[in-house]
Order: sequence, then C-alpha cells, then structure tokens
Amino acid sequence: MSARIFTRTNSSVLKQCLTRTGATPSLARSAVPSPTGKLYEGHIPISPLQRTILAVGSAFTALANPLRGDMVAALGETTSGIFLNRIRDQMLQDPEGRRILRERPVITSETMQLDTLRQLPDGTFGREYVRFLDDQQVSPDTREPVHYVDSEELAYVMQRYRETHDFYHTLTGLPVTVDGEIALKWFEMAQTGLPMTMLSSFFGPLRLSSEERERLFNVYVPWALENGSTGKLLMNVRWEEWMEKPVEDVQRELGVRPCPEV
Amino acid sequence: MSSLLARAVRTGIRNPLSSRLHQPMAAIRFQSTEAKAAATATEEYDVVIVGGGIAGSALACALASNKASSTLKIALIEAFDLSNHIKWSPRPDQYSNRVSSLTPKSVAFLKKIGVWSELDSSRVAACEGMQVWDGVSGARITFDAADVDGIQSSFLHQVFSGNIPTPPGVNSSTNQENLDGNKEASPLAWMTENLHVQYGLQKQLVGHQARGVKLDIFEKTKVQGITTEQGESAQPQGDWPAVQLDNGKTLVTRLLVGADGVNSPVRSFAKIESLGWDYSQFGLVGTLQIDPSTSTAPGQGKGIAWQRFLPTGPIAMLPLNNGYASLVWSTTPKIAQDLKKLPARDFCALVNAAFSASPAELEYLYKNIGPNGEPLVDFQKEIEWRTSVHDQEASQTMIRGGSSSQGDAKPPRVVDVQENSRAPFPLRMRNSSSYVEDRVVLVGDAAHTVHPLAGQGLNQGLADVECLARVIETSLLSGSDIGNIHSLTPYSSERFLPNLAMLGTVDKLSKLYNTDFGPVVWARSLGLTAVDKMGPIKNEIMRFAMGLEEPSKRS
Repeated sequence: MSARIFTRTNSSVLKQCLTRTGATPSLARSAVPSPTGKLYEGHIPISPLQRTILAVGSAFTALANPLRGDMVAALGETTSGIFLNRIRDQMLQDPEGRRILRERPVITSETMQLDTLRQLPDGTFGREYVRFLDDQQVSPDTREPVHYVDSEELAYVMQRYRETHDFYHTLTGLPVTVDGEIALKWFEMAQTGLPMTMLSSFFGPLRLSSEERERLFNVYVPWALENGSTGKLLMNVRWEEWMEKPVEDVQRELGVRPCPEV
Repeated sequence: MSSLLARAVRTGIRNPLSSRLHQPMAAIRFQSTEAKAAATATEEYDVVIVGGGIAGSALACALASNKASSTLKIALIEAFDLSNHIKWSPRPDQYSNRVSSLTPKSVAFLKKIGVWSELDSSRVAACEGMQVWDGVSGARITFDAADVDGIQSSFLHQVFSGNIPTPPGVNSSTNQENLDGNKEASPLAWMTENLHVQYGLQKQLVGHQARGVKLDIFEKTKVQGITTEQGESAQPQGDWPAVQLDNGKTLVTRLLVGADGVNSPVRSFAKIESLGWDYSQFGLVGTLQIDPSTSTAPGQGKGIAWQRFLPTGPIAMLPLNNGYASLVWSTTPKIAQDLKKLPARDFCALVNAAFSASPAELEYLYKNIGPNGEPLVDFQKEIEWRTSVHDQEASQTMIRGGSSSQGDAKPPRVVDVQENSRAPFPLRMRNSSSYVEDRVVLVGDAAHTVHPLAGQGLNQGLADVECLARVIETSLLSGSDIGNIHSLTPYSSERFLPNLAMLGTVDKLSKLYNTDFGPVVWARSLGLTAVDKMGPIKNEIMRFAMGLEEPSKRS
C-alpha cells in the first residue's frame, strides 16, 4: 500500500510541476475576468511544449508500470488529438452515436444501478458485467477523469471511451490480465485507431514472457483485428440500453465473436 | 482578256470566293465580298459568328464599334431567341440564377463597346472584398479591394504578355499620369446576371444595325453543317468555310468564329482537339435571400463574397443588391441533385450549415435526404444542436484567450431561396489544342472551359473577344486577309498562354481542396495562412484575378 501511495504522490508531483510551469499563461492576456478558462470540470489547459513533455514522460512511466492508470490516461489524452475528432465524427454519422453525444450519459455505479443489475438472470449482459466488476474488485467510479483534452465535447468522447472499457471486457470475454488487456488494446486499435492503443499494442508485448507473446500474436491478435474492424463501432453503442439482453445476442448484433478460450 | 474574264466567271460560279493567289483577280476579291454568282441561297460574309451567347454577341458588338471593322459584313447565328433579351424587364425582387462576376478589365471592355451604360446600376452589385477559407481546418484568407494597388499593372500579366516586367512596387512614370483624379479603389469585381449583360449587348447590336452596320442576326436558327467549299479545291489555304443553316441558307465566310460553347461544332469542323477532363462535380446555382444584419463582417458584409472549400467542393455566396445573393455550390452529382429537391426551408438551413459546420456534420445531413428530396431527420434541430456545441466551445475558447478563430467574420444567414432558381450543371475543364485554324477562330467556352471557383470563365471569354476584335481591326488597317491564319496568330499568342495559366491554376486549386487527407490539409492551411499575411503577394493575386493590365499597352 505504501508503494501505491508513493506512486500516487509521484504522479501528483509530476502533474504539479507541469501545471505550475504556467499552465494558464493565456489567462493573463484575456480581458474577460473569468478565473479558470476551463472548458469542463477537471480541465487542465496546457501549452504545446507541456503537452509534448507530458506525452513522453507518461509513455515511459506507463511502460515501466502499466498499472499506473493516471499515466496511461495522460498518455492517451496528450496523443489522441485528431483521433478523438475522428471518433466524434464517426459517432455523428450514426443515430445512436448522435444520441450519446447529445445526451452525454455518464457511467457511474449510481447511473448503472449495479444492485438492479445483480438481480438480472445469469447470461444477460448486465449480470455478466456486474459479475466481472465484482470479480475484479473494480467499480465504474475508479476511472481517471479527463484533464488534457482542449474541447468539452472531445473530453466527453474520451471519458465515454474509458467508461465503456469494462463493457468491452464483458463483450469479448477477455480477462483483466496483462495479455488480456493488450489483446483488448489491439481490438480497440482496430476499432478506433487511437495512437494510445497503438502504443500499448506495440510496446506492451515487450513486458510479456515469450510464451504469453506467442499466444498473443497467434490467437488474440488475429481475432482482435478481425472482430475490431468488421463489427459496428462500439463507441456508438448505448450500453445502458443493452443490459437485459443475453450476451450472445449482444455479440451477434454487434458483429463480435467471443474471444477464443486458451 | 475576255477569256480571262470568262475563266474568272466560270471559277466564280464553282468557287465564288476562292482566294487562289495565282489568279490575277485575287487582289480585287480580297477587298470586296460582292457575291459573284450564286446559284444556291448562298450569301457571303466577312465574319460569321456561330453562337449568340455573351462572347459571340460581344464580338459582334466590338466589331461593329471599331472604325475599320464596322465596314465588314457580319453574321451572328444563334439557336435561341435573341430578341427576347431586349424585352427583359425583371422584377426588382427576383434575380436570375446565372450570375457572373465581371472583373475591372471586362467592365472596361464593356464600357468601350457601349454596353455598360445600357445596364441598370441597381442590378449590378460591387464586390469589395472576399473571404475564402478552408472547410476542414478553418484557415482563412481575406481580400479587400481597398488594398489593391491601382498603379502598377499585374506582374504576372506582364510576364505572360511577354514584356520585360517591372518589379512589383516600382512605379513607372508613364503610369502616374493615367491616375489623375482617379484615386478611388476599384471594386474587385461586379456581379450581375448574365441576362442583364445580354440585354445590354442586344440593345447595342440593334443600335448598330440601325445606324447601318451590315450586321445580320440569324436567331432561332441552328447550324446544320459546316463544310469547306464544295468541290475539288486542292489549295489548302484556298477554301472558305460554308455554314449551312436550318432555314436553307448557306453562309460562306472569310472568317468563321466559333463562340458556340463547350461542345463547339465549329471546333469539330476545324478539327481542333479539345483536351481536358470532367470534374466529378456539379455546380448548383440559386438565388438566395439573405439577412445582412446577421453577418459579423464590417458593414454587415455588404459587397463581400464568401467562399468555403469543403472536401466535396467549394460553396460560394456572391453579393447582389437589396438583400439578395447568388449561390454557386460545387459538389458531388448526387448531392447536387438532392439539394435541388430539398424543401426551401431545409435547403436554406443546409446552406447556412455549409458555411459553418464541419464536413462530418454535413455528411450526416447529405445522407439523410430521401429519394424525393424530403429530409429524413429534422434538419433544423440537428443543425441547431451542432451550432450550440460549437458556440459553447468558441465562447469558452475566447475566455481562455485562445485561438485566432474568434475574429473570423461570419457570412449572412440565408432566409429564403428563390423558387425554381436551383439548377445543377456539370463542371469540366477544357482547353483547345489551338485557338486558330485557317479561317477559323475560337473564343469563349468553345476555346476553354474552367471550374467556376475563381469566377474567371466569362471574363476570359470577354478578354478573348476584346483581343480578337483588336487583332481583326489591325489586320484590316494593314490590308491583310482577316481570315488568313497569319492574321489570326497574334490573337492566339496573346490569349493562349494567359488562358492556360488561369485554367491550370484554378484546376490545381480545385484538386488541392478536394481532399480531407491530413497532411494535405495541414500543408495547404499553412500556405493559405502564410499568404494571408503577405500583403504584396495577396495584392498580386488580386490584380491577376482582376485582369489589371498596364494602361499604356492599350491602343
């Protein structure tokens, strides 16, 4: 636990260094007396130089310790730029995606009503989702909020992308092991093209044993690429409305085959 | 002597106007075109202009106005009704959808041939500025007529006309004198309906006929065929073109002018190749009613032309008077057809969105137009939602003291579209491999066709006509045969290169902006923003587009 606290402090020190080096110099120029210049709650505007430093720093940290969720998040946000644009534009083409952008549903343990989901029959998407959360001892509230995206709508897109990650696990059946997560990153790369996913996909395997790597590239990656690119864009899915369907139905409708058991 | 005469008469019957140089009667023939003996309904002319559009009519007008060429016998052939143009009396609240921008050079020419004074100034709008921006990145360039340096002629024009150019920025003393009293900045262009220009031209033509110019107008007459003189003529330079009309007459002419549009039969007759390609785009024109108070440009955007480059093609709004504007929207053929069918309200909402929304947002709307043009989603609601998202972000960005887009002027809102004014037409680029052949010359669209994005097509045609009229005048004054190819080559050498340069530039621009591929967008935005900050280069571009030339060159 102490190690965890230590790393937590580290991250905040890194962030504070960045934010203190004039994160908001532009405010001095603005004539309008608005104190924050923030586009959304949690927004930390940074300059292009700060962005580059953060991207490089978080890349190394995340590689060294992939469990550092905040660094992984920072890496994602500093590199996603135009790709979030692309995801948002793809969502705009789809009626369900548009509804999500308009209504901006947020996934927390409250909004998901986890207790209600636990009452659902086995085999439904909602039941399996909660089972997954309980097994891994995580909750939808532990996701790192978005800080470094300079657009409110795109920040929402990033946030939604993170929040739906657990649904991807339920959908595909991939475990939350290192190689499972990497396989899921390959799947997301085929879906979204986010550079973050590419970095994880290419550098993540460096941390695996050779046996795990073999399994990854022989089994998981082909599956991920095939299913990620042909199925419906999952960012357009209003997961909240799919809870009562059986998992097989959800998989079939979304064009995703369950990942092969190894 | 009598045998010679008899021989002349015999050859005269077969080839009444053959200009065989070894014939002793040749010199006399060059100076008169009296019909020798025509058995068929054949009439001889000095100049036959096929095509009574603006280019053809302007040529007839120019020839009739110049001293020497007004003695020529001229025929103008047009398939449609030309006399209707004189009766044109439009309502003040309606504008035809075919509107063109006339550069200062074209206007000077129209003034010279007496057409400009015939026009109703309330239906001519001055374009004082242009705002052009990239639909993907938002990079913008603005042009202001007040910045145009009126003294120096365009550097590029000097280069293309073959003179030794004076460097830009250096005032040559000869030009200073021409400036006396005229300190006002000229607008970039004038916008008016094509029908309006035709009205002025036809009035002038009727006037010329009335004062005795031998000008015959064959309206509602089609050309059935063009041949060189029938018979066994072996001389390649000897034959005059004969135009067979559908009213049974045949016109034999010293010089045949093709002003007959992009599919020119005259060009085919002369076996001149037309090179180029079709753009996979249609241009949709229409007359819009705008609300000037909604524009954030200075002066409520009066006299400002707006053009936004979307990946599907540029959309342009050209200013007219009294709260009207002309739309030219180049887009894919399918979208153009759908746009024509949309109900007016949704069409206006879409036009407004096309000037502000992202290409992805527009894609969604294009896809949701049904087979009969009905919108499949609520256009207003969807556009309002997207606009509110943008506005919110923009206001927040302004608070942060952020991006430069806060200062960008917005075009006026479109509130209505004139009924039945929406019409699509295919876009293409063509250039003829040659503008002249023996006894044949091409002007206007018959010679070259260009993408409308720079508003140059009609102006190039008028520049051709002005040049050709001058060349014919010069030939006459020096006693040459106006139809001989050597008399025509000055026209070709003066017009070919500038037209080619314009065509090439406009074509490259349209291709550059036809994509949303990341690196290309980045590069072109960088270039555009850079040029926007370079005054002298912008100045040069404006003057090139306005056709400004050194006044001392004109005779």
